[in-house]
Amino acid sequence: MPRPVHWSRRGRDAIRARLSGRGQQSEMLESLLAFGGLVLLRDSIEWEGRDFLKALIKQSALCGEQIHVLGCEISEEEFREGFDSNINSRVVYHDLFRDPLNWSKNEAFPRGPLEALRAMCRPTDLRPVTIALDSLSWLLLHFPCSTVCQTLHALCRQGDSSPVERVNVLGLLHEELHAAGPLGALSSLAQIEVTLDGTMGRTSAHILYRKPRHRPAHQVDPTAHLTFNLRLSKKERETRDSLTLPFQFSSEKQQALLCSEPSQASSHIFYEPDAYDDLDPEDPDDDLDI
Amino acid sequence: MAAAATCGAGAGSPGSVAAAVDRSSATSFQRKGPRAGGADGGGPRLVSIAGTRPSVRNGQLLVSTGLPALDQLLGGGLAVGTVLLIEEDKYNIYSPLLFKYFLAEGIVSGHTLLVASAREHPAGILQELPAPLLDDSYEKEFDEDGCNHKTPDSSMKMKIAWRYQLLPKMEAGPVSSSRFGHYYDTSKKIPQELLRTAKWHGFFLPERISPPLTVEPCHLTHGYMKLLEFIKKIVSEEGVDGSHPQKKTKNILRIGIQSLGSPLWGDDACCAEACDDSHSLTKFLYVLRGLVRASLSACLVTVPAHLIQNKAITARVTSLSDTVVGLESFVGSERETNPLYKDYHGLIHIRQIPRLNNLICDESDVKDLAFKLKRKLFTIETGL
Repeated sequence: MPRPVHWSRRGRDAIRARLSGRGQQSEMLESLLAFGGLVLLRDSIEWEGRDFLKALIKQSALCGEQIHVLGCEISEEEFREGFDSNINSRVVYHDLFRDPLNWSKNEAFPRGPLEALRAMCRPTDLRPVTIALDSLSWLLLHFPCSTVCQTLHALCRQGDSSPVERVNVLGLLHEELHAAGPLGALSSLAQIEVTLDGTMGRTSAHILYRKPRHRPAHQVDPTAHLTFNLRLSKKERETRDSLTLPFQFSSEKQQALLCSEPSQASSHIFYEPDAYDDLDPEDPDDDLDI
Repeated sequence: MAAAATCGAGAGSPGSVAAAVDRSSATSFQRKGPRAGGADGGGPRLVSIAGTRPSVRNGQLLVSTGLPALDQLLGGGLAVGTVLLIEEDKYNIYSPLLFKYFLAEGIVSGHTLLVASAREHPAGILQELPAPLLDDSYEKEFDEDGCNHKTPDSSMKMKIAWRYQLLPKMEAGPVSSSRFGHYYDTSKKIPQELLRTAKWHGFFLPERISPPLTVEPCHLTHGYMKLLEFIKKIVSEEGVDGSHPQKKTKNILRIGIQSLGSPLWGDDACCAEACDDSHSLTKFLYVLRGLVRASLSACLVTVPAHLIQNKAITARVTSLSDTVVGLESFVGSERETNPLYKDYHGLIHIRQIPRLNNLICDESDVKDLAFKLKRKLFTIETGL
């Protein structure tokens, strides 16, 4: 039975959550998209990440965002498979797959795909934007790693300058194609890193949250979606406050004890206990006043 | 500048010799009177700049790094004219904090700041600096609680811990009234009035260079070149390199560079093991150290050393800096569950301490240092 996973907002800086199964899928996806910034999806040949990417795209379409997809590895028809019509209407597909080297000289990417990426994010409307990169590995193979990192950083930063909208950049990265260098560099840029793994036919996702610089745009409420009730209604709060606790003194005795604190007792008892004395200065029956 | 300061401290009063030339008196040596206003009297004397103090060991002029615990480990503070390199921890949690402490200390001491970053805008970094714990603000807080203390009936009644009701609310925390090394409260931001009085220059890389339209791998040093030119320009503008001798009030320039060597600076050191321009980072540090040595400035650079692929570059970077401190946080590592480390947040490694005008350096014998970050205090403790 999958346990509910709690995400802390401040305090813990990087936590790892392992989820398997589809139990809390939508709330998990929602929390991945709450922060903005770069979400890095690392997959491998055994555990493919494109379905996860498409699930994230569906989730952000449901939240009303506009999604730009830079497709490099599969054709547009194959990518749009499985999306229903209202999701398809929100997805804008930029096709690099059919003509990656621009032999047909069309004007889709006049100054290269990186420049097109930067242009994608100069928005005309105020809706939050999601950019899905399928895949980052393709970009890393064609452009130097530092240039790709700088472009991604510029994309994520667009969301900072205007606080109304939030830019999510979802990047799919095939781990096996790259050495430790580019993987480490992209990890350090990412706000959230999801690594897909699995055992015996079940895929699991390891999610690593780096410390978010700001609070998430919409707070994920951990007391929602639980099987037990953690909230207090107003009436319940009042009854709880008016409850008399055991061993609670009446207010007269409290005041008497408080006011007598400053004045010390006039007589002292000096007593030296010998070796066999078991002195317990507290007599538990002494100060009961119920 | 560092050597001149040493000279000034140790020599005593050579200025009096110069003064005696003008006056006719019985002896050619004159006792130098107490420096009341210090207006006249030429000759080198100890530069008395706010926020600095001479080292008790070798007379170097020191500035505080913002962390009194780290100052103690470095032999009193960071020497003016040197570069402090911080090797970032894996998830970059604690190194931005040290960076912010350094800058906040500069603002509180009245130094000029130069903030360079490729990741965040310098204005944004300055907005997030921690608030200093100063004497007067602490007392103001205490007075407010003192009024509550006089009327216990009207104050908030405690239900369970009522015996503590009459005790005054005191915040137990470190407060430093000294002018060297302050404590900061990381849960509060620096007050705006303090920021407005601060003098700072910012360098944000995406604003200074246009995005590369044609992708050429040899433009690696482009960002670094711009930064070096900017630092040189500010150093001469502020006069910290002694280019305006008529300027009486001297000030220290604090240079903070964040995440040098990361791919956001256009450097491939973190991406590939054998990159085309593998010397750009080392060249930058060499020129930077030259600029800093010849001026009254102190520099703090953070480098993501765990990402640098070529270990030879890491070794060169270490030897090209003066002081090197490495941070290792326990987050996400197997040391997190080690019972020895359960009270601490990470380890600090002092990798190198410079020998300035000395034959030996001030290395402490203790090698295991662990740090703990509390809200108002960053402690470094030894001997696990």
